Amino acid sequence: MLLDLHTHSIKSDDGRAKVENYCQWIKAKALPLDGFVLTEHRQFDDESDYSALAEKFGLCILKASEVETEYGHVLVYGVTPELQKAFDFASTHLELAVVLSESKKHGAMAVPCHPGRPKVGMFAHTDELGIPEGVEIVEIHNGGSRDQEDQIAIDNAEALNYRGIAGSDSHIVSHIGRCATKFSRNINSINDLVEALKAGDFEAVNLKTAG
Amino acid sequence: MSIATLSDVEFGVELPTFEPDTSLKTVGTFAELVGWGGARFSDHEAARKEGLAGAMVPGILSQGYLVAMIHQWAPPAEIKKIDTVFRAPVIADEPHAINGVVTDIDDEEGLVEVDITVTNEKGETRVFGTASVKLPQ
Repeated sequence: MLLDLHTHSIKSDDGRAKVENYCQWIKAKALPLDGFVLTEHRQFDDESDYSALAEKFGLCILKASEVETEYGHVLVYGVTPELQKAFDFASTHLELAVVLSESKKHGAMAVPCHPGRPKVGMFAHTDELGIPEGVEIVEIHNGGSRDQEDQIAIDNAEALNYRGIAGSDSHIVSHIGRCATKFSRNINSINDLVEALKAGDFEAVNLKTAG
Repeated sequence: MSIATLSDVEFGVELPTFEPDTSLKTVGTFAELVGWGGARFSDHEAARKEGLAGAMVPGILSQGYLVAMIHQWAPPAEIKKIDTVFRAPVIADEPHAINGVVTDIDDEEGLVEVDITVTNEKGETRVFGTASVKLPQ
């Protein structure tokens, strides 16, 4: 099962894609995606219900979040009401240690994204702040990466024994599916996704180079 | 194919690529004409001293090229909105490509939504956004 684990819709301040148009695009272009995860910036979208769209298009549509820490941006999968009370998702100055520990405590999984990117990526800060404890997975392929950002992520992840996921980081419709993560098991809910991530049952796929 | 009416448009269709003139001469002249005169738009060395990779193409010039790309595709188009996110500078004298693709069609309103991107030779997205375009029914 192939899921794009990093997408943004118009719910994000810099997102320009409607979720229905993502679905139409995946089908019209026959992308190999089985679904995608909406990771809106600095929030968890409690309001939106995409179950009807998921059924109409035969796609798995899940919701997560992208929060901001002193080590850069972090995807959080498995957000619960309790986790939303544990730290302020809207803050731009969260502590990575808090995001990691609270996510773990509440059964979620926190994953630093585009870690090879200047300023907003984890490895841009490790020289100054040290290697953070508790990271298990990082995003090693990001659809918006420039220059050597993905390679920096891959090299550091290998050196630190992190597992790697991939996501397109799409903000417009036509950018969905540039990178994705392959799972050998079926994912039908956010709990399924978190369990698969915890089990290490996945493989990052870069579709940008697949033609 | 030049687009004349809404019925000519299909979901997912790609607009012809537009190659913008990013020459330093044009960029510097444009910046001066719109009152943005400054070394960062007209002098690579001075721009580098400001921490940039080179002289930049002003954002409003990139937006102008995006509009030109849409009108090249659909001459009668009325562009209702161009909404851009500037991810990284568009550097003068470097070849770039402007692309668009139709991602939504509203038959009732006669509106087409177009994803728009400005990419450099390495395929890196420097600017992305959407345009809302009204076409004759």
